[in-house]
Amino acid sequence: MMLQSLALTLLCSAVLVLQGCSAWQVNQAAASLAVAGPQATLDRLQTLVPADRDLAQYRLNTGVLKLYLGDWQGSRQDLNEAKSILQFAQAVSVTENLAALTANETLRTYNGTPTDQVLVHVMLALGYLLEGDLDGARVEMLQANVTMQQLAKEDSTAGQLASARFMAGLIYELNGERDDALISYRRCYSILRDRGEPIPQALQTSLLNLTRRQGFQQEYQQFSQQFGREAQLPAADEGEWFLVYLDGVVSSKTETRISVFDAEVDTMVSVVMPHYRNSTYLPRELTLAGEVQRQRSNILENLEVRAREDLEAERAKILAAATVRAVAKYKMVQEAQSKNDFSGILMNIATVVSEQADVRSWNMLPASIQVARITTSLQGPVQVLEKGQALPPLAEFSRRGRAVVLASSLTDQVYVWPALPEPPESGETHAAQ
Amino acid sequence: MKHWILLCAALFLAACATSVERVAPDSTIDLSGAWNDTDSRLVAEEMIQDALSRPWIGEFAGRTGKRPVVIVGTVRNLSHEHINVKTFVADMERALINSGRVDFVASRDDRGEVRDERMDQDLNAREDTRNAAGQELGADFMMQGQINTIIDVEGKEQVRYYQVDLTLISMADNRKVWLGQKKIKKYVKNAKLRY
Repeated sequence: MMLQSLALTLLCSAVLVLQGCSAWQVNQAAASLAVAGPQATLDRLQTLVPADRDLAQYRLNTGVLKLYLGDWQGSRQDLNEAKSILQFAQAVSVTENLAALTANETLRTYNGTPTDQVLVHVMLALGYLLEGDLDGARVEMLQANVTMQQLAKEDSTAGQLASARFMAGLIYELNGERDDALISYRRCYSILRDRGEPIPQALQTSLLNLTRRQGFQQEYQQFSQQFGREAQLPAADEGEWFLVYLDGVVSSKTETRISVFDAEVDTMVSVVMPHYRNSTYLPRELTLAGEVQRQRSNILENLEVRAREDLEAERAKILAAATVRAVAKYKMVQEAQSKNDFSGILMNIATVVSEQADVRSWNMLPASIQVARITTSLQGPVQVLEKGQALPPLAEFSRRGRAVVLASSLTDQVYVWPALPEPPESGETHAAQ
Repeated sequence: MKHWILLCAALFLAACATSVERVAPDSTIDLSGAWNDTDSRLVAEEMIQDALSRPWIGEFAGRTGKRPVVIVGTVRNLSHEHINVKTFVADMERALINSGRVDFVASRDDRGEVRDERMDQDLNAREDTRNAAGQELGADFMMQGQINTIIDVEGKEQVRYYQVDLTLISMADNRKVWLGQKKIKKYVKNAKLRY
């Protein structure tokens, strides 16, 4: 009787967990994001009521969708809320651990992968920058630096993002802090080199220009030799354009069932693990074209790879916890079956239903972050070719002779810092508000 | 037994309820270790006290025979936190005005609204109550500054070091007549466990 009650309780809990779990709904919305677009996906998400434990994932997703749509304040509000939850959830919860060990991993508060914890600062910084708050963007990059320090390990680059280092360099450079900018670009280069990933042309230009400007001759020569080109320092009548392009949508996790031998019960137990399918992401580039110079964006951060690396780093821990849980559930079923057939069946159903992999992730991020950097005449217009967008000369709107363009493959809109003087009569170019 | 369960349930629910307690505005409550209202107020008051006790005031008054007119310019936030610099500037303005030792003029943003109102008065106010344009008090000194931080972090522990630098610059000749500095150091330990 006691076992029957326990099984019923477990079954009810499992059903409640399944009903309350918004992760699957979020994953479905993420899967259709590339086709439906950010506005329709945001509308769809806003009909959901996430459980408290899923709130961080929910806000990360609504925040990045609002960023794609140019709603800087809304994006900032959501991402800041998510950031607070991620920081709070770094402390280990006694009750959530207990629940995760007895039912499943989705009962923990979503606390983000190392990539999430750093990238939230990058997305916030982009929002602050495009809203015209350069100091606000700078604050986020300083915070990203602290987060990366906390996540740093000698034997791993987990949580060390080239995109965060590049953005920090860019923001320092826009602020006129060339020393700090060079340090950030160097760190960006080190991360990419350690991972064996190609160095984007924009980063090459940044390193060459700053080592040349700051008088680091030996380092400049090394970079120049390695990249096979010279610095492109803008002349007095020239300025610079930076492009940050968010391409595609990162994969969502799925479940996979694997069998593990457990010596304690001397049998194979079946466990459910989160899993990424092989990536089918085909990067698309965006071209920033001035009158003389043009550059196609290059991948700075491949988030498809980062997501899989983060999961792989956690795999052993997740598998160990899932095995302990599976063995405990197996014993409960065995015990129930030995007493009463009906209890055994009920307990079996309950344990199977309650076993779920944690497939939550920040799955509305782009698949890759790409960058480009060109020098143009202050009087010359610039085009974002694949979007068919013409942007006015720097002299018309940028006192500093520099501009940053943010574009996403999910919308035709292009956002520019500093704010453009007035929107053009045709096209969909939007000044940062 | 049932009574005990009910009592425990009641206590548990009571613990979950939102509670509000009114506290004095100048009381010190540190929750996260981040820059807060107490830091803003104390730094502003102490730095302005320091500025007012230095010789530049006496020298200016001796030379011109009037109280110096001060304006607060930009205070940049170069720290690791999103600090509302406006409250800090407001605290400084309050401390300066209340000292009674300097005259204080409106900032660039505030002046725009006042000038609009003055233009409106020209059109709509009775002649004997109008305030003429071109009679504004020009500032003799501008106060500028920045808030910087250095964060040292190891696991769940952080040392937060704040440094606020203020500079008073003579509008006549760009001389820096006062440099103020205030430092705050906080040791923050974040929780390792939660309920």
